[in-house]
Amino acid sequence: MNQEAAGTDRHRRFAALCEPLRDDLYRFAFWLSRDPQVADDVVQETMLRAWKSLDRLQDGSAAKQWLLTIARREHARLYERKRLATVDIDELVAVDTAALATSDERDQELDEVRRAIFELDEDYREPLVLQVLLGYSTQEIAEHMDLKTGAVLTRLFRARHRLRRQLGLSGEEQED
Amino acid sequence: MTENERSEMQVQCLQFRRAVGAEPGLKNPQVEAHAAACTSCADYRRQMRSLDGVIRRALAIPVPASRSRASSAPGVDKPRHTRRWFALAASLLAAAGIGFALWSTAPRESLATTVVEHVRHEPDALVTTADRVAPFALEDILAKSGVRMRGNLDTVSYARSCPIRGHWVPHLVVQTGAGPVTVIVMAQEHVRQPVPLRTAGLTGTIVPAGPGSIAIIGSGPVPVDEVRDRVLEAVEFLETGQ
Repeated sequence: MNQEAAGTDRHRRFAALCEPLRDDLYRFAFWLSRDPQVADDVVQETMLRAWKSLDRLQDGSAAKQWLLTIARREHARLYERKRLATVDIDELVAVDTAALATSDERDQELDEVRRAIFELDEDYREPLVLQVLLGYSTQEIAEHMDLKTGAVLTRLFRARHRLRRQLGLSGEEQED
Repeated sequence: MTENERSEMQVQCLQFRRAVGAEPGLKNPQVEAHAAACTSCADYRRQMRSLDGVIRRALAIPVPASRSRASSAPGVDKPRHTRRWFALAASLLAAAGIGFALWSTAPRESLATTVVEHVRHEPDALVTTADRVAPFALEDILAKSGVRMRGNLDTVSYARSCPIRGHWVPHLVVQTGAGPVTVIVMAQEHVRQPVPLRTAGLTGTIVPAGPGSIAIIGSGPVPVDEVRDRVLEAVEFLETGQ
């Protein structure tokens, strides 16, 4: 295959494998960082790295896991490089709910859930996003986060338990 | 039910709720058998699955039409739910003490507008000429923007590093059979599909190119495909700076 055809083929492969995942990539980066600008930066850096190492992706069906692994590393690198401010959950000031007043009850419910997810520790937020939004299995989450499956299950259980408590839905079950 | 049976049932309920609390969609014979035998746990599972539906909708935030997406026309308003979501995220970030000037509800100038305005401010570059930029000078210009020469681009008559949306990008003029064509290589700006460019006397397009995009503009008919292919053959996007 000559150079011109190889270059075009590479562009097509990148467009076919990576472009459809851009929205999921952004959402993952957003919920990891809780910062839309950082999420944007992570997506850009991830796509650049993916472009450069596209030849290493042998199995196209693994493109999502491959991209999200890169994104996780890029978020960590960006965090380290920029020394992004950490946020102590306890210091979060209550949001002025009047500013978010809406007559749309469904939007209100989603805003409340988003606020609760926002306040979860990253250790619980990330596996929840991977499972619920991105359809990862427990095993896939364990590989992605370099954890044992038992630890993943515990974090998922605690994430939901904390959300239920935050949303006033908790029942009799204990977290531990 | 005996005391032992009651204790055993409680253990089963605890195990069921731990399992389903971690994986509400879990299906196996033991889980199904307990759900059939215990209405309280069956109700718990129903609640967890319902909660997951809400969580899924909450997590699927609208993705902003940022600079990395196909540009919308200037003045096009964002949908109401998108503006509300940005307001929520902005207020939460502000409460957490993280301020970002970019978090504004005012629409940003589109990439197309930015590119066209930039070209219009450098009219002297888009001329037919036999002058050619030396390869080493071209490589230098490209390298500043995270782009590398891997092939030959010997029809470049003009090459400058120019600021576009906070990034230094190569602004080139390529001589073609149809006349001079401006080429702006933007490693940091991505479009999903070609974005047409049209303003007084100038036509062209912004096309996807790997992780970034390339703007191709000329006066009169522009051989977009020919120029795009030639540029893509000759350049390579590198990683951003460390």
